[in-house]
Amino acid sequence: MTLSTPILWVFLPLFISLITGIFYRSRILGIILTCTTSFGLSALAAFFPEDMVISIGPLTLAFVENLGILGRQIIISYQILPFIAFIYFSTGVWAAGSVRLSVPESFRPTSLVVTALLTAALGVEPFLYAALFIEGAILFSIPMLSPLLSKTHPGILRFLSLQTLALPFILLAGWLLSGVETLPPDSPLIVQTMIILGLGIGLWLAVFPFHSWVPMVTEKAHPLPVSFVLFIFPTFITLFSLNFLDRYTFLRTSQGLYQSLRSIGTLMIVLGGLWTAYQDDIKRAFGFSALTETGFLLLVIGLADQGGLSLLLMLFPAHAVSFFLWGFTLSLFETREDSHSIKALHGFALRYPIISSGLLIAQLSVAGLPLFATFPIKIALFSDAFAINSALGAWIFVGSLGLFFFTIRLLINLVTPNTEQAITSWVLTEKSSVYLPILLIILAMIIMGLFPHAILTNITTILTAFGQLQ
Amino acid sequence: MLALSTLAFLLIVITAMVILIFRDWRINTAALALQYLAVFYLVTLSWPIGLAIVKLIVGWMATAAIGLTCLRQMEEDTPTESTSSLFFRALAGLMIILVMFVISSTLQERVFPNVDLVIIRSGLMMVGMALMQLGTNASPYLTIMSLLSFMAGFELIHAALERSTLLTGLMASVNLGLALVGVYFIMKSTDRDESQKEEEEK
Repeated sequence: MTLSTPILWVFLPLFISLITGIFYRSRILGIILTCTTSFGLSALAAFFPEDMVISIGPLTLAFVENLGILGRQIIISYQILPFIAFIYFSTGVWAAGSVRLSVPESFRPTSLVVTALLTAALGVEPFLYAALFIEGAILFSIPMLSPLLSKTHPGILRFLSLQTLALPFILLAGWLLSGVETLPPDSPLIVQTMIILGLGIGLWLAVFPFHSWVPMVTEKAHPLPVSFVLFIFPTFITLFSLNFLDRYTFLRTSQGLYQSLRSIGTLMIVLGGLWTAYQDDIKRAFGFSALTETGFLLLVIGLADQGGLSLLLMLFPAHAVSFFLWGFTLSLFETREDSHSIKALHGFALRYPIISSGLLIAQLSVAGLPLFATFPIKIALFSDAFAINSALGAWIFVGSLGLFFFTIRLLINLVTPNTEQAITSWVLTEKSSVYLPILLIILAMIIMGLFPHAILTNITTILTAFGQLQ
Repeated sequence: MLALSTLAFLLIVITAMVILIFRDWRINTAALALQYLAVFYLVTLSWPIGLAIVKLIVGWMATAAIGLTCLRQMEEDTPTESTSSLFFRALAGLMIILVMFVISSTLQERVFPNVDLVIIRSGLMMVGMALMQLGTNASPYLTIMSLLSFMAGFELIHAALERSTLLTGLMASVNLGLALVGVYFIMKSTDRDESQKEEEEK
């Protein structure tokens, strides 16, 4: 019996999410189906045999890596499977994290659809059609960010508008790219193509000045779906963008492009860091920090000549654990406090020490504190940036300080006793179902930070899927 | 042929202006439906009618979905607007028309040499007006109308550049998806208002 890999990693999760969507009121069924599918597909991708043949007793399943639709193809090759395993595992973790929280019911089915559509986007040929799958994923992420009985806030409209505006730019860039390959390098059309492509990807990644929706959405939407969206879209889009570098020599060899990516990345890091530093709202601070991390993603692509692409891939799991913990603990904060202002959180750490520690550690991990997940990557990144240009390194350092500064402010407010409340000493009030996931994730972050080569480097093998970028 | 193209272009300019200036969903829905008709005719200049009609059907389906939801959900009375705000938006629209007229010939010369000027102008008018609308309002209904108009403008130009059945199908899905998101936004804002009223009455 012959099957194709896209049926397994695109159409099966779409079908499961359809079932979950139909029975969206049945919370337990939704959680079981989403988690089983996500973890199952992740395990299958992780342990998939290289010859693509699976034998179960007398049944032999042979897989092919492509599926033809109307003359076009979706290809999920063996080389990309470690990434697919990672992304489905992350989706499963987010779905499992929604067990105890008042997450919108639409989150579980739509998260699976988003992952499936983005997986299809990664494998569609011609690859520019991916823009349409990504747009589909954006449309499906609306219900999880703006649930049915909540007010439609301007941030979600801006998110939809700016992300949709990216689609024409990418399709137009695709048409232009098909014609510019044969042109001389000094042709003005090449610069125009790069600008149009840059605008499209910039809109998708919420690069300054298209970033305004990020803090607006993080402020109003539920933190867990927001953290999922802020993790999964930049991850897929940066990986998708590598296709452009892989396929077009003039892009790959353009030093101006790498220089621009480094500059834009640094600008995002500095602006995001400064905005984060003076935020009073813990949810908005998350949004601005996510912008800083997008800056790091752009920066590492700009450092491709110094091995930045391996660092880019290593950043993905580090971001996944940190963003999940950040979203998870913020959700717990939200259910226990009405206000998101750090000034209203006096004494919170005395009552909920584990939740508070979880949030602070998530922030410090994203900021790049030693021992935690992003530290080994960011220290390598700093070294590369300083080696190229010391001013560049200094600015990145300044930007990175922003989140540290905010975390210290938050820590001071969390441990300052609240005079209006009776509790003035430390009390452990969290239940094991709340603090165990937090402790497990913190442990995972520490293991990633201590053994980066054992944990994070596995994912770098997917660079073999990009023949020209290895 | 030329007369019909010019008529389609004029229809696009007028309907885009109407969508930009007015806030009454009835007028805007009718304008969007007419805009899709004009887009359909201009797409037939590049594509066979059998394929171009997909744009018309999808556009009308999206318009109908939004229009019918508004009919059911929105209040009968449209809030009255001051003449100055109408005048401001009309002026902004005229400026967009002027800018698009200026840049369309340059764009044809440098980027799209094989595309008819009337197609580029029509597409740019829709794109420009939709962007102006997106930048000046925060209403879910108008945002979706603007995005649909923006996509129609882009698709008009893109149709002259590339013909692909799969792409047409995927674009149709995106347009219908946008319309469904619009329906979702309109419904949820009204449902929420109703539930709030019920709570207040209790």
